[in-house]
Amino acid sequence: MIKEVTKVNLRIRSKSEKETKRRGASQWAVAWRRFKKHRSGLVGLGMIIVLLGIAALHNVIAPYPARPHPDAFKPLYEGESAQPPSWKHPFGTTVMGTDVFSEVIHGSIYTIYVAVTVTLISMALSVGVGIVSGYFGRLVDDVLMRVTEVFLVFPSLLFILLFSRIYQLGVAEPFWDVFGIKIPVGLTIVVVIVSIFGWASYARVIRGEVLRMKECEFIQAAKSLGAGSRWIMLRHIFPNILPQVIVLATLTMATAVLVEAAVSFLGFGDPNTITWGRLMEESLQDLSTVWWAEVFPGLAVFLTVLAFNLVGDGLSDALNPRLRE
Amino acid sequence: MNLLEIENLKTYFFTEAGVVKAVDDVTLSVERGCTVGLVGESGSGKSVTAQSVLRIVPRPGKIIGGKILFNGEDLLIKKEEEMRKYRGKKISLIFQDPTSSLNPLFTIGSQLADIVIEHEKVKKDEALEQVVKALRIVKLPDPDHAIYQYPHQFSGGMKQRICIARALLLNPELLFADEPTTNLDVTIQAQIIALLKDLQREFGMTLVMITHDMGIVAEMCKYVVVLYAGNVMESGSIEEIFERPHPYTEALLKAVPRLDETRKLISIPGNIPNLIDPPSGCRFHPRCQYAIDLCKERKPELEDVGNSHFISCHRWRELQGGRY
Amino acid sequence: METHTSSRAIDGANYKEVDIEMPPLLEVRDLVKYFPVYSKGIFRKKIVGKVHAVDHISFTVNERETVGLVGESGCGKTTTGKLILYLEKPSSGQIFFDGKDVVQTFSKGSKEEQLKLRRSMQMVFQNPYASLDPRMTVYDIISEPFKIHRHIPSNEWKDRVYKLLEMVGLEPYHAERYPHEFSGGQRQRICIARALAVEPRFIIADEPVSSLDVSIRAQILNLIMELQEKLGMSYLYISHDLSSVRQISQRVIVMYLGEIVEQAPTTKLFDNPVHPYTRALMSAVPIPDPKRKMNVIILPGEVPSPINPPSGCRFHPRCQYADQKCKEEKPSFSQVDVDHFVSCHYWHKFA
Repeated sequence: MIKEVTKVNLRIRSKSEKETKRRGASQWAVAWRRFKKHRSGLVGLGMIIVLLGIAALHNVIAPYPARPHPDAFKPLYEGESAQPPSWKHPFGTTVMGTDVFSEVIHGSIYTIYVAVTVTLISMALSVGVGIVSGYFGRLVDDVLMRVTEVFLVFPSLLFILLFSRIYQLGVAEPFWDVFGIKIPVGLTIVVVIVSIFGWASYARVIRGEVLRMKECEFIQAAKSLGAGSRWIMLRHIFPNILPQVIVLATLTMATAVLVEAAVSFLGFGDPNTITWGRLMEESLQDLSTVWWAEVFPGLAVFLTVLAFNLVGDGLSDALNPRLRE
Repeated sequence: MNLLEIENLKTYFFTEAGVVKAVDDVTLSVERGCTVGLVGESGSGKSVTAQSVLRIVPRPGKIIGGKILFNGEDLLIKKEEEMRKYRGKKISLIFQDPTSSLNPLFTIGSQLADIVIEHEKVKKDEALEQVVKALRIVKLPDPDHAIYQYPHQFSGGMKQRICIARALLLNPELLFADEPTTNLDVTIQAQIIALLKDLQREFGMTLVMITHDMGIVAEMCKYVVVLYAGNVMESGSIEEIFERPHPYTEALLKAVPRLDETRKLISIPGNIPNLIDPPSGCRFHPRCQYAIDLCKERKPELEDVGNSHFISCHRWRELQGGRY
Repeated sequence: METHTSSRAIDGANYKEVDIEMPPLLEVRDLVKYFPVYSKGIFRKKIVGKVHAVDHISFTVNERETVGLVGESGCGKTTTGKLILYLEKPSSGQIFFDGKDVVQTFSKGSKEEQLKLRRSMQMVFQNPYASLDPRMTVYDIISEPFKIHRHIPSNEWKDRVYKLLEMVGLEPYHAERYPHEFSGGQRQRICIARALAVEPRFIIADEPVSSLDVSIRAQILNLIMELQEKLGMSYLYISHDLSSVRQISQRVIVMYLGEIVEQAPTTKLFDNPVHPYTRALMSAVPIPDPKRKMNVIILPGEVPSPINPPSGCRFHPRCQYADQKCKEEKPSFSQVDVDHFVSCHYWHKFA
C-alpha cells in the first residue's frame, strides 16, 4: 500500500516540478507587490519620503535659522518684511519679518514628531485594549468597552483645547534635553492629550477584527494544541490584525497632523514651537495683506495629510484580504 | 430547434495574476422542456457559463467569443437594454446561497413585487397577487402572510423556496439553478429537489441544474454536460453518461462514496488545475490514468459517438473496446 | 494501476466485535451543553433561554475505531467535538479519555497534565481555508505544537516536520510556503500533519472533506484511513454526509436536535435503519446511479429551534408515525440488537 502511495506522490511531484522550488511568498511580500502597482499610494509614499528628507535636513535647506535665533528676523532688519513670494523669499515674508519658506521647512520636524508620537501612543492603547477586550470577552470586554465609550462621547476637541491650556500653564522649562535632542514640552503635552482622546474609535475597530478572528478555526486549532491565551494573542491574533493596524496607523498620522494644526491655529498650542498651525495663527490677522504667510503653511498641512491618506488607501487596497490571490 | 445553443463560448477573467480561462470553448445545447445537468467541480466553469448566458459575468470577467443562441437569437450581440428584458423574464437564475440573494431590508412581498412591476408595468396590488401565486406554487406555507415578512424570518429551506418563486414570477422559458441545495441540509435538499421536479413536470419548464453532485444529476436530469477546467468533457443522456462515461466522469464516479454500498474509493491524484496556465492538450491528462502522449499534445475534439453522446477524449473508443 | 487506494477493507463487515473486557479509549457520559440566550439590555444582560446544543448524550469510542457522528446542521455534532477537546466548557456530564477525567483535568489539573492530554487528542477542522494561520509558513504551522509542548528537542524539529509532510503526501519544499499558495486538499493535508505532530491517539475530524472538491475528497478520506492503519489511532468522524460516514466509520451515531437517536455498527445501521429519522435521512441522499430510483421519505417542515425543543420525542413534529405518546413521553434507548440502540417508542415496527 505504501508503495502505491509513493507512486502517487511521484506523479504529483513530476507535475509540480514545473513550478520551480521557489520560497513561499509571505502575505507581506504579496502586499508589497500589490502596493507597488498602486499609483496614488506610491505618490503618497514619495511625498512622505520627501517630507522626511526635508525634516532631516531642515537646517541645511532653510536659508534662515529657526526662531528664537535672532537671525530668523533678518529680513526685517533688511527692510524686507511683508514681502510677496520672490526668488529670495520663495514663500514671501511675514509682517514680523520672518521668511515663511524657512519657517515651513523648520516646522516639518514638529509635524513628523506629532504624527509619529500620536500614532505610537494611540495605537499602543487601541491595540492593547482591542485585543484584550475582543479576546477575553465577557466582563473584561464589558468594562473596557464602557471605558472606550466614555472617551468616544467626550467632545474631544473641546477637551483637547481645555487640557492643553491647563497643562501648558504649568510648563516651567520649554524643552527637555533627551540625549542632545530638544523635545518641546508643550507640544508633547498636546500630543499626549490628542492621543488619549483619539485611541477609542480605533480600539473598537480592532476589537471587532479580533472578535471575527477569534472564531477562525486556526485559533481553535491552536487552542486544541494547548496554546495559552498569551501565545494565541501574540503569535496568531496580533500578526493577523497587523495589516489593519498599519492602515489605521497611517490614517491616524493624517488625523494627528490635522488636529495639532487645528489646536495651534486656535492658539492653544505650544508657544515655544513654531508648528505649521502656529504659523497660520500668527498671520491670520494679516490675511488680507500677506496671504502667502497663511497659504503656504496651510498647503504644507494639506499636502502632508493628503500624502498619509494616499498611503493609507494604497495600503488598505494592498492588504485587503478580499482581494488576495 | 433547441431552446438554448451555446457554441464555442469563451469567457475569460482578466485578473492581476493573469488571464483565467474560466470557460474555454464550451459548446452545449438545452432542449426545451428538459432538465439538463451542468456538472463540474469548482473552477470547471459551470457557474460562469450560466452567468455568460445572462451576460452578468462579474468583473474582471469578459465574454470574448462564441455564440449563445436563445430561441435562435444570439444573445451576445444584443444591446444591454434588450438583454435586460431577457433577464428574469425569459431566463432566470436561482443562486446557491438564498440568504445573500434576498435583500434583508425589504419584505418578501415588496422585493418580489418590484420585479413584476419593473417588467410588466402593473399596479402594486396586481403585482402582489402574482407574488402570492408564485409563493403558492413553491408551497411556501401561508403566502398571504409571508409577503409581509422579512427574509430573516424564514429558514434556509424556506428562503430557497422564495428564491425559486422569484425566479418563476415572470414565467421564464429557461431556469438556471446554480447549486440550489448545496447550503441546505439533506432532508431540506430532498424537499427542494422534489419541488423542482414537480415544477418541471407540471409546467414543462426547461431547467439547467448546475451541481457537483452526481447523485442529484442521476436523480433529476435527463441530459448531462460534464465540465472540467473550463472545457466540456462530455455531454449526453444520463444513461449514456453513466454507462459509457468519459475517463474523467468515470474517475469521479469511482471517487465518491456511495450510500448504498461500501467499496474502495479510487481517488483522482493531483489537484484541480490552475486556469491561468491550464494543462496542454486534454486538460484532464495530468490526472487521467489512461493518458498517453497524444493527450498531452493535442486537445481532443468534442465528437459525436452515437446516441447523441458527445465525448472529448482521444482514447474513449479504444477503452470501450472499439465498439463505438 | 496508479491509483490512490486504501488496502483496508472498509466494509463494516470487517468490523471486529469489541472485546467487552477492554475499556473504551473515550467515554462520554451524559454530556450536556446549553448556550445561554441573552436579552439585549442597556446595562445588564438577562438570560432569557438556552440553546439545547447537546442534551444528555453518552457514547464510547474504542481503541483503533472510527465512530461516525452524523446529523444535520444544528444537531450538536460539532459542539460535541468541541466539548470533548474542552474548546467549549460542558454544562454538565463527564468525559473520560483513557480513564482520565477530561473535564477535571482541564478545569483543575496542572498545566503539565493538560498539555499531556492535549497531546493525546487532536482535531481536524472543517474549513482548511480558515484553520491555518495565513501569516505562518507551513514549517511554522507544523512545528507550532513542538514549540508549545517542547516534548522533543529542538534539533529534531526539522526532521519531524519533513517526516510529517511526507506522511500526508506533501513535499519537503512545501515547508517554506504559505497557506494561500495551496489548494484546499493540500491545506487539509497540512492540517492533518499539524494534528499528527503531537502523536495523538484520538483525532476528531469535523467534516474534514465537506468543503473540498469532489475529486479531492477521496484523496483525503483515503489518507485518513491509511494513517489509522499505520499509526493506529481512533477517530470521531463528524459529518452530515452519510455516504462518507459509511465509507470511513465502523460504528455510527445519529444525532437529532442535541440528542442521539440511534447508534449501531455501520453495516447494521445502513442495512437496517430503525429510527424514522435515520430512515428519512438515508432515503434523502441522492445516489449517483440513474437506474436506482430513489424512494425518498420527505420530512415535513424543518428542524425546530433548539431553544424550545419539542416535548417528548424531539422528532415527533416531523414524524409520520408520531402519536400522543411520542408527544408526551421521551423515549429511552431500546436495544434492537447486541450493539444497535435506538431511541423510539415504536422501534419494533421498523426493525
